[in-house]
Amino acid sequence: MTTLWRKAIRDFWQERARTVLVVLAIALGISAFAAVVSSYAILTRELDRGYLVTNPASAVLRVDSIDKDLVKAILQNPAVSDAEPRRTIGGQIKAGPVQWRNLVLFVVEDYGNIRVSKLMPESGAWPPATGEILVERDAFQVARVNIGDAVTVKTANGVETPLVISGSVHDVGQAQARMENIVYGYINLATLVQLGEEPRLDQLNILVAQNRFDEDHIKRVASDVEQLIKSKGHEVRRVEIPQPGKHPHSDLMGVLLLAMSSFGLFVLMLSGILVINLLTAMMASQVRQIGVMKAVGGTHRQIARIYFTQALFLGIAAVIVSIPLGILGSRALCRYMAIFLNFDINSFAVPIWVYLLVALIGVVAPLIAAAYPVWRGTRTPVRVALSDFGLSQANFSTGAVDRAIAQIGGTFRLIAFAIRNSFRRRARLVLTLLTLAAGGLFFLSALNVRSSMINTLDRMFAARKFDLSVSFANPYEFEKIQKAVSKTAGVKRAEGWFTGEGSHGDRRFGVVALPPDTQLLDFDIIEGRKLTPQDTDAIVINNALAGRDPKMRVGETVTLRIGAEEKTWRVVGIAREAFAPSPTGYIPLTGMVNSVRLALDDTDEDSIGALKTELDRNLEAEGIRARGSSTKSESRFGFDQHMVMIYVFLIVTSVIVGSVGGLGLMTTMSLNVLERRREMGVMRALGATPRIVWLMIVAEGVVIGLLSWTIAALLAWPISKAIGDFLVRMMFRSGLDFTFEPLGLVIWLLVSIGLSAVASFLPAWRASRITVREALAYE
Amino acid sequence: MISLNHVSKTYETPAGKFAALKDIDLEIRPGEFVGVVGKSGSGKSTLLNMVAGIDRPSAGSVAVAGTEIHALSENKLASWRGRNVGFVFQFFQLLPTLTAVENVMLPMDFSKTIPLRERRKRAVELLNRVGVERQADKLPATLSGGEQQRVAIARALANEPPLVLADEPTGNLDSVTATEILDLFRYMANGGTTVVIATHEADIARVIDRKIEISDGQLFRS
Repeated sequence: MTTLWRKAIRDFWQERARTVLVVLAIALGISAFAAVVSSYAILTRELDRGYLVTNPASAVLRVDSIDKDLVKAILQNPAVSDAEPRRTIGGQIKAGPVQWRNLVLFVVEDYGNIRVSKLMPESGAWPPATGEILVERDAFQVARVNIGDAVTVKTANGVETPLVISGSVHDVGQAQARMENIVYGYINLATLVQLGEEPRLDQLNILVAQNRFDEDHIKRVASDVEQLIKSKGHEVRRVEIPQPGKHPHSDLMGVLLLAMSSFGLFVLMLSGILVINLLTAMMASQVRQIGVMKAVGGTHRQIARIYFTQALFLGIAAVIVSIPLGILGSRALCRYMAIFLNFDINSFAVPIWVYLLVALIGVVAPLIAAAYPVWRGTRTPVRVALSDFGLSQANFSTGAVDRAIAQIGGTFRLIAFAIRNSFRRRARLVLTLLTLAAGGLFFLSALNVRSSMINTLDRMFAARKFDLSVSFANPYEFEKIQKAVSKTAGVKRAEGWFTGEGSHGDRRFGVVALPPDTQLLDFDIIEGRKLTPQDTDAIVINNALAGRDPKMRVGETVTLRIGAEEKTWRVVGIAREAFAPSPTGYIPLTGMVNSVRLALDDTDEDSIGALKTELDRNLEAEGIRARGSSTKSESRFGFDQHMVMIYVFLIVTSVIVGSVGGLGLMTTMSLNVLERRREMGVMRALGATPRIVWLMIVAEGVVIGLLSWTIAALLAWPISKAIGDFLVRMMFRSGLDFTFEPLGLVIWLLVSIGLSAVASFLPAWRASRITVREALAYE
Repeated sequence: MISLNHVSKTYETPAGKFAALKDIDLEIRPGEFVGVVGKSGSGKSTLLNMVAGIDRPSAGSVAVAGTEIHALSENKLASWRGRNVGFVFQFFQLLPTLTAVENVMLPMDFSKTIPLRERRKRAVELLNRVGVERQADKLPATLSGGEQQRVAIARALANEPPLVLADEPTGNLDSVTATEILDLFRYMANGGTTVVIATHEADIARVIDRKIEISDGQLFRS
């Protein structure tokens, strides 16, 4: 081993604390990056793998009824590899005193032979016997039940049937029950009969034989199958084609992973800045030694090799630390995402390319970060290098800015000194401020995005003036419903609405027919106007429908098919609805209704529960069967669940970025202290107590913390609005009602002061312990 | 051995131009032991820097052992210096993380003139020659000033350079140690090495062959 290698290694050992800081700084960035990249690799693989294992249906056809002959005929088509009938039916479920919960029941003819959209038995019985029901694993907490519990189930016919929950299944392709606030149940045909329903199947899941991931091909095959079904005298109510081969939530996960990847790269960049800061300081402290090495014959290349070797060591050490940390982080992240999106991870195996990528970036990043400091350090002329005495007077007082800074402070000499000192190494200060301010920005953004989301949701739900919505199995005259409602205590106002489906061309959308002078929905009109009692052919569309169908503009006349009727409608207004509304058109109510919206006197859970029970009784007395109901708080719960994800993500990122910033400040302060040791010796010789020295350094750290807070506070509004809009647009395709959280500024101010005081504590303590003799002897 | 022709050096400072050397002409023969004597700031370090190729003249030319060193690039200068010049500093300038013997091996590693396996052996021999072989594996911080300067001298001799330059080599040493160090330089010169010492001490007459006095960047007598 030559002396050059020995020097590289021993310099590290001599500056152990600083080396550890650099390794930590790089490792933090690489770990975050490794965690995100590994999670990306694991989640995309596992989500789609888990989904594909279930043999998801290429298309789902809703038919009036399906028999074996029809299935046989469809299977004659060579383009169809499999077809399996099922039934999906809405209902309600309750266990004991718990309120009715909305239920979607899936009826499977033969649990032993599910070939398309397979269910995965989790625990308990399989298949469900007659009188038993299986519940989707994520829905247990919605239903508030356990395996073995007795429950009561009713469908639209109103027949309440006791069933036993005999097991749990995992239905990979379903949206999470928690988010939707729906219970998914699985029964057999005999149980369906017990529920008072006809034992027929009405949903056909088909699988195409070839090109399973070609959407156009699937559409063509589904169209052929639709024609065939119609030719057999059946009615096809709807054809659904899910995105081929993709889990319904893979897009949502993609957005989250994209946001996380951007964050991973950002942290990597911040830690790169930290490394530049440290290596620049390291090179600065080596200038004299570089001069000596040049004087005894060392060339630029030979000397640069020593420092690049050091950067390489740093990178290797950081990679060794970061790979296990990153893997641990990715496991935690994957587990969280898997619970959030309700899917299983069979293997946490990280592909080899991830290790290689992380190792490459871990090794290359410090080399890149070191390039400029090493280039600058080794280019220093020998004479200049040999005469280097660290921080000289030439570093301050030569420019106009310095002279201006020198005026700050007045009689408060300690503060003045702290401010002036913090500006001595300006490039270092800028880089430190950048990392600290970034932490502040993330934190303030997290709070602002959270309060903006709450604000947007508040506004959205404030527009809905009803507290309870009850849907019916069939349409009824509103007067009949009104009778039942009027006998129910605690209802302030009731309106009958009709919700159905319409289409414009081949595009379907939701239709809500409501009293044109509705008092229970306050449209947020962004263009045009609301419905008026004089309107007969007017339609107000929501922003989702307007965005999807550019032909539907205010003032335009469009021909729409609503139910079986085709009619011309005038678009009179566009209403804004937040958070991924489904495309919907609002028209004046003219006939019967299939739901009722109720504004209530008391809106707590118990009061609503009691009211629902009474209303159900009164409706039944009128011969009306409720199919389902939902309260305002239940609807909001799902939104809040989605929001928590974004909020947690932003808070976690701000903690990590804040840590990088704190680490950056700690290194900056320790470098500043190191370089000014002799100065401190002079001050001590002039009578400064160790406490004064300690205070001066902490004050300098706090000055930097306050500066970073100022930058973060100034940028917080535009940046957090951009981040919030970006995240919400990506996840929900809608914007935010931005609101600034002033409390965030106060909290971050306290955090900045605390963080900077803590980060400078150790360097200050060390500096205060140096003896005058040691400090004066320091070169 | 050394030839300076009309060498001038001017520095730009915040206070204006400062002439460190003014139109210097100087010839030093091979094997000669020369003392450059002058007060602090007189220009003697600048003169040594010119000869070592550590600094470049603003005007004039510098030739050492037949090489016009002012015309060489930084990298070529470093390589040339490694083989041809041994430099001894006032503050020893040993690398703190290398042991005494490793400091001596450093120029050999840079110049690669001596086979890798022989470098340590040679470094120990050099330390032996200057009387600090027992300190070979110690770090500089554990050595006395005199010992450090002896190691620095051994380092200057690492590649057997024909020229050794020493800038105030005794400035930080007590008088007994200083005498021993000067004797070492005399011993080198006796062996044929050209030695140039810059010093502000006038009492080196007993060891040197020739004294050059410098004041305000000008030579008085040579």
